[in-house]
Amino acid sequence: MKDIVFTVTHLKFLNKDVFELKLTAPEPLPECRAGQFINLKVADASLCLRRPFCLYKFDKTSVTLIIEIVGKGTRLLAQLKKGDTVTGVMPLGNGFIVEKQHQNIALISGGIGCAPLLAVPLTHPNKNVCAYLGFSDKSKTVLVDEFKKACRVKVSTDDGSYGFNGYATDAFLDDFNSGVFKPDVLLTCGCEPLLKAVQQISRQLKIPAYMTGETRMGCGVGACLVCACAVHEGGKTVQKRACADGPVFLIEDVVL
Amino acid sequence: MKLSVNIAGVEFKNPIIAASGTFGFGREYNRFYDVSVLGGICTKGLTLLPREGNAGTRIAETPSGMLNAVGLQNPGADRFIREEMPFLETLNTVVIANVAGNTEDDCVALTRKICQTNVDMIELNISCPNVKEGGVAFGVCPTSVENITRKVKRACTKPLIVKLSPNVSRIADNARAAQNGGADAISLINTLTGMAIDYRTRRPVLSFTTGGLSGPAIKPVALRMTYEAYKSVSVPIIGMGGIMSAEDVLEFMIAGARAVQVGSANIFDPFASFNLVKTLTTLLKACKIEDISELTGSLKVN
Ligand SMILES: Cc1cc2nc3c(=O)[nH]c(=O)nc-3n(C[C@H](O)[C@H](O)[C@H](O)COP(=O)(O)OP(=O)(O)OC[C@H]3O[C@@H](n4cnc5c(N)ncnc54)[C@H](O)[C@@H]3O)c2cc1C
Ligand SMILES: Cc1cc2nc3c(=O)[nH]c(=O)nc-3n(C[C@H](O)[C@H](O)[C@H](O)COP(=O)(O)O)c2cc1C
Ligand code: FES
Repeated sequence: MKDIVFTVTHLKFLNKDVFELKLTAPEPLPECRAGQFINLKVADASLCLRRPFCLYKFDKTSVTLIIEIVGKGTRLLAQLKKGDTVTGVMPLGNGFIVEKQHQNIALISGGIGCAPLLAVPLTHPNKNVCAYLGFSDKSKTVLVDEFKKACRVKVSTDDGSYGFNGYATDAFLDDFNSGVFKPDVLLTCGCEPLLKAVQQISRQLKIPAYMTGETRMGCGVGACLVCACAVHEGGKTVQKRACADGPVFLIEDVVL
Repeated sequence: MKLSVNIAGVEFKNPIIAASGTFGFGREYNRFYDVSVLGGICTKGLTLLPREGNAGTRIAETPSGMLNAVGLQNPGADRFIREEMPFLETLNTVVIANVAGNTEDDCVALTRKICQTNVDMIELNISCPNVKEGGVAFGVCPTSVENITRKVKRACTKPLIVKLSPNVSRIADNARAAQNGGADAISLINTLTGMAIDYRTRRPVLSFTTGGLSGPAIKPVALRMTYEAYKSVSVPIIGMGGIMSAEDVLEFMIAGARAVQVGSANIFDPFASFNLVKTLTTLLKACKIEDISELTGSLKVN
């Protein structure tokens, strides 16, 4: 693997706190999968740790990320200008493995948790995909049009200011119970309450579900063991490395 | 130019050793570069039985550093020997097994077991701050440092390095205690105990509440302790704590280290140790240093 020096080719704000960052590599990139991530260096020597971000879109020579400003590192990344360089290692982690028999796929997300899911319909154009995208309110909705280009979409807001009134999991159950969509697999990303809700749905409906979470990371490559994710395995709870064994896990197994 | 150094009879092709806990068992970084370019590799801390480590958040970023509370997660001696040793044996570099335990007996039994493998050296970790028992408990009081060193040394058929904790009153006393107990070399420092708090939730960031501070933030403390240890013992010293550049390596050697370990830098940059070996050569050339060993303890005291 390599440390890649990317050039910023595009940076656009999608709302007050969320921006899209396109990075172009000087040479062809390794093959990527939805759900994999990049560990990006931040240009401030006092911020030693790299920042992990899911790959939102990717092609032979570029990756695009969707980044929410939450602290010092993301604020610095937001100040990048076209032509600046940033260093990162990618693709890391397992990503979503879409199995052959999983023809009907439901994506369930909260907030910008939708970002890593878009690559699923984009890289599997022959699957029947429906995205249930939840946001807290209308001002927070992002990427809806991008999803609409790739698959069916149902938007929900917690306060009902746009789309379905409720959580993304409620919107999904609404469709499921009325027989509109019976998926073979659920793929999800978002905050912990959402993940817990999907875990419950997966158990009740007996539909396998895969999640990707946001565990704090160090090396990002499997060597330092700081990214523990507790998983049930063979009757025991074991600590898996979110960066190398994940970040995608079968939700059934995860201790949430 | 001579880059090689000798520690307790073991020849290192250069003084750059990957530090315990930041380099796994070498496999991950071997995907980035041939890890045999390093002088040595120190394994993740091993215990007799497997350990899952601490649950929840194990890392927090701090200014110019990081806190970790992994809690000695490791596969245990048997799986290490079965699953990791065969890979480590293929490498052309010094392999150091970092051993830890809850009791002196555990440390002795583990050392005995690991000594039956082809590892080159044992590093006794009496300084892990992230476990409830054992670990640092042995490492604080000089008498217990001497006792455990003596017991482990008796069971140890390989050169023994004792890794000291910085969370002590006088590092010189502990270094001397390790030497008196029979240590063939001393390494320091392990992490400094610290804490991070989230003011919004009013909770510690780490699930374990406290953690070990590492990275550039601890370098001045590590240099001072390397220097103090060097003045108080005659066995070779392996210095570490915040090393990021070839200049840092030279500083540690001047303070008294014969070799250095590089820890957090690997976490910050997967090529850190590889780049250190390369830039060290360039820097030595620029400084017209023929034999790197001439640096050790060459501090001109004010
Ligand atoms: C696999 C993975 C994929 C991710 N994908 C995305 C994405 O596509 N878009 C996006 O906006 N964010 C994503 N995140 C979260 C993102 O990494 C953090 O928001 C970011 O690191 C915060 O950095 P900061 O310096 O702004 O925040 P600070 O709070 O100043 O950061 C301090 C430290 O905490 C870590 N940290 C803080 N919040 C998080 C968090 N939520 N998750 C993990 N580490 C955190 C930082 O990495 C840093 O080490 C992802 C996280 C992981 C683990
Ligand atoms: C994530 C992490 C895990 C560590 N695990 C161990 C360990 O298992 N055994 C040990 O002796 N030291 C361990 N250490 C300490 C390092 O080996 C080293 O002593 C310390 O980090 C200081 O060096 P640095 O500033 O270069 O990282 C660990 C450090 C980190 C950051
Ligand atoms: S972040 Fe280092 S092992 Fe996962």
